[in-house]
Amino acid sequence: MSRLWKEFSKGLWKDLPPFKLVLGLCPVLAVTKTADNGFGMGLAVIFVLALSNMLVSMLRKLIPAKVRIACFIVVAASLVVCVELLMQTYAYPLYLQLGIFVPLIVVNCIILGRAEAFASKNPVHLAVADGLGMGVGFTLSLTFLGSIRELFGYGTWFGMQVMGDWFQPFTFMIEAPGAFVCLGLILAGMNTLTNWQRKNKGLEAITGPVHDCKSCGMCATKPGM
Amino acid sequence: MNKPLEPILTVSVPPHVHCGRTIKGYMIETIAALMPAALMATYMFGMGALRVMALSCAVAVTTEAICNKIMGRKQSIDDFSGLLTGLLFSFLLPASAPWWLVTVGAASSIILGKMIFGGLGASPLCAPVVGWAVCRISWGTVMDTNATMLSSNLPAPLQQLKYFGLDSIQSIQSSTLLIGEQLGGLGEVQVIALLLGGAFLLIRRHVRWEIPTGFIAGILITTWIYQLIDPTTYAPPMFHLLAGGTIFGAFFLATDSASSPIGLIPCLLFGLIAGTMVIIIRVYGIYPDGVPFAILLTNLFTPLLDRIRPKPFGGPFSYSSKDEEGATCEKC
Repeated sequence: MSRLWKEFSKGLWKDLPPFKLVLGLCPVLAVTKTADNGFGMGLAVIFVLALSNMLVSMLRKLIPAKVRIACFIVVAASLVVCVELLMQTYAYPLYLQLGIFVPLIVVNCIILGRAEAFASKNPVHLAVADGLGMGVGFTLSLTFLGSIRELFGYGTWFGMQVMGDWFQPFTFMIEAPGAFVCLGLILAGMNTLTNWQRKNKGLEAITGPVHDCKSCGMCATKPGM
Repeated sequence: MNKPLEPILTVSVPPHVHCGRTIKGYMIETIAALMPAALMATYMFGMGALRVMALSCAVAVTTEAICNKIMGRKQSIDDFSGLLTGLLFSFLLPASAPWWLVTVGAASSIILGKMIFGGLGASPLCAPVVGWAVCRISWGTVMDTNATMLSSNLPAPLQQLKYFGLDSIQSIQSSTLLIGEQLGGLGEVQVIALLLGGAFLLIRRHVRWEIPTGFIAGILITTWIYQLIDPTTYAPPMFHLLAGGTIFGAFFLATDSASSPIGLIPCLLFGLIAGTMVIIIRVYGIYPDGVPFAILLTNLFTPLLDRIRPKPFGGPFSYSSKDEEGATCEKC
């Protein structure tokens, strides 16, 4: 049981997908104009992530190692089509709001990342716990970012008026640059928090990237690129 | 033998001779260069302009002090760079700007434009323009100089050109634009005063001549090309040079030392790109004046332009060779 809880809870804080792993940023930036949208997107991701983890874990002995990525994508794509049809039936306004980003869950890094890193190596119950935990963490993060942007951009929260009449909507926050700035500030906050916790435990603060540059192809400022 | 209390010879690391220039001196002289324009703005737009400038400077310096405190850095407000950022930002605002707009804009100039990247000299973007962009995207109606100052009878050249076409600006004389009788950001339209300040900075070698030259050349060449295409739709070069914030951008914003490249060719290219971009935004964009956005965009070219480097004398390698790459990567 404790193992199950451990796999579930790591998605809530330790490996929080958008803010700690920095994975799945496309929906994080694109659909968090309002808290509503973020929450709805998160629910769709929970559904896909938990089920895809379950299916991948069940099929892990059958999937040949060489074509595993293609197999994971087939699993995720089938589930995403399910989500899309379900949303069209029961939550059509939300479906219109999210638009292209529902089909794009297929190529969301978290789905593939968890399938590759966890579900394909672990038994079914742990994989489901991991998927649920990551999904819940993702939902909470999206709702949090959406809340901030909606609060400043529209002066509302989940559609409720929060700010008074004096409030001039800070439109910057609901535009694309606002999403990037907001995400950057949250990441900075997360790093500060992590270092503060490490300091309290008597550990050294992390000041730079924890990986070495050679093994990483992510850096656009690398000389010679 | 006892050690003497006063050392006879002081041994220190080079450089031993200092040219006497300091960041503080640089900032003070730049602020001094802006003073004629500030006076002109107060004369032209009244106490409203003075209020905006004072508030913006105060907010900028306070924000920088608070940021330094939070980030646990050495207090740096006494080098006057925060004050300069605040003043430059206020020059882009209309004199009618409400206090909250000035506060949010000046604070975001300092926080998002400067401190978050690591303070003075580390910013990849021109800080005042960042604050301006945040305000312009958020509160377009309040930032619109033409709409907020209807009582004034000064012409608003760029807005007229954008919304009413070339015929509406025929009556505007170049000389009225030159002495700043136009609506726009409170300081950016004081063309003659800014030219004076710019000349002072050029003489004092605080700005390199390459960037303003490139910028103005970019504007003149691009408008000239448009004129060749169709002289009945596109405004003449002199109009674009004198209207809006062109001169301000050329001498004070584009030359921001942290966000502009180094060296002759990169600087000229930087200016040319910025100047061309200004005209392109003025002709096709939805915003009447493209100077700040053009500079913001061109700032992002700086790392790329900085790759144009002279070959070291006698050096067997060029900077783009494989060995050097590996050596740099080990460090990071």
